[in-house]
Amino acid sequence: MSTAPSADFLAALHDYQPLVRRVCRLYCQDADDRQDLFQEIVLQLWRAWPRYVPQPDAKLSTWLYRIALNVAISNLRQRTRRPASVSVEDEAWHLAQPTEASAYEPEETAALYRAIDRLSDVDKAFVLLYLEDRPYEEMADILGITQNNVRVKMHRVQEKLRRQLVHK
Amino acid sequence: MELDDLRRHWRQPGPASEPATLSTAELRRVLARQSDDVLAKLRRNAKVEMAINYALLPLSLGMAWLAPVLWVRLWGGLLALIALVCIFYFHRKLGLLRHMSDPAGDLRAYLLRLTTGLRALIRFYYRLTLAMLPLTCLLMGVMALTTTTKAATPTKIWVIGAVLAVLCAVIYLPTAHTTKRYLHWLYGQHLDRLEAQLRELDDVPTA
Repeated sequence: MSTAPSADFLAALHDYQPLVRRVCRLYCQDADDRQDLFQEIVLQLWRAWPRYVPQPDAKLSTWLYRIALNVAISNLRQRTRRPASVSVEDEAWHLAQPTEASAYEPEETAALYRAIDRLSDVDKAFVLLYLEDRPYEEMADILGITQNNVRVKMHRVQEKLRRQLVHK
Repeated sequence: MELDDLRRHWRQPGPASEPATLSTAELRRVLARQSDDVLAKLRRNAKVEMAINYALLPLSLGMAWLAPVLWVRLWGGLLALIALVCIFYFHRKLGLLRHMSDPAGDLRAYLLRLTTGLRALIRFYYRLTLAMLPLTCLLMGVMALTTTTKAATPTKIWVIGAVLAVLCAVIYLPTAHTTKRYLHWLYGQHLDRLEAQLRELDDVPTA
């Protein structure tokens, strides 16, 4: 494949890089793994780009979420990911977040991140799309299941997180 | 604290070590590297192996056509046959890998494509390995018959044929077993994980 990506692809990728970064942040705790996953997602987006056909009823973000999640969840990368462990740097970042943006204690936020990290990769996809504020219709479209199924599974994931936070 | 609370500050930038956006030049560098994806590596290997077989085919055909000695001709013919079988195998394998490598589509469809593709790949490899067994025995038979100085009598042909048939039957089961174990070691973990994810996604809640 040519190493000269088109200008429209680069422009789209430039706009949506933070989205890809957030997917990586949720699936990889280790900074190197996160960078590997980011590069792999970008590569796969580029490969799939020639087949992307803009449609009036489909958003570019939906297409991006699909590919990013498919790559993150299938985890067919060569490098074996280390067992989930929160690096000191990430922990510090997580802890620093709530001081500006919410009324919650840093420890509460860190506990929630840890609870999310213990979820399965599929459950993390529900969490990600929920955090990204995607409507159930789009979530169903990205995951390939019915809206009703999304609603019930989302409820289950939230219950799991509550249970984990209670038993921490 | 609930997910709704986290959602409010979720879109804030990540750790300081993580660049918010890469420049165009940095993106080009990312795109220039090779993929770490197992499927991409399998595809690269399959292409190299197919090229080797394509190179072997005219050589073995030339040997079968031009060699002055009968046994060299027979060898050439059998090698050409094996190269053809391998080329067919690698074409099928590449087709399967291409189909599996497309990450577009919803998550469920993608996981389904990966699991069915991986299963097909395993089945195909297993069958090819077992099909190669009689071919190898045939090659050994031809070698045994043609490298001896004495003329091949009908009795000798029958004896060698019978010995090779028995040998083929005896090593069939261990080969099948070893191949299955090898394939499970190679792809089993991926397959189990992907199937578990598919089940998790398909699990219809009864709540």
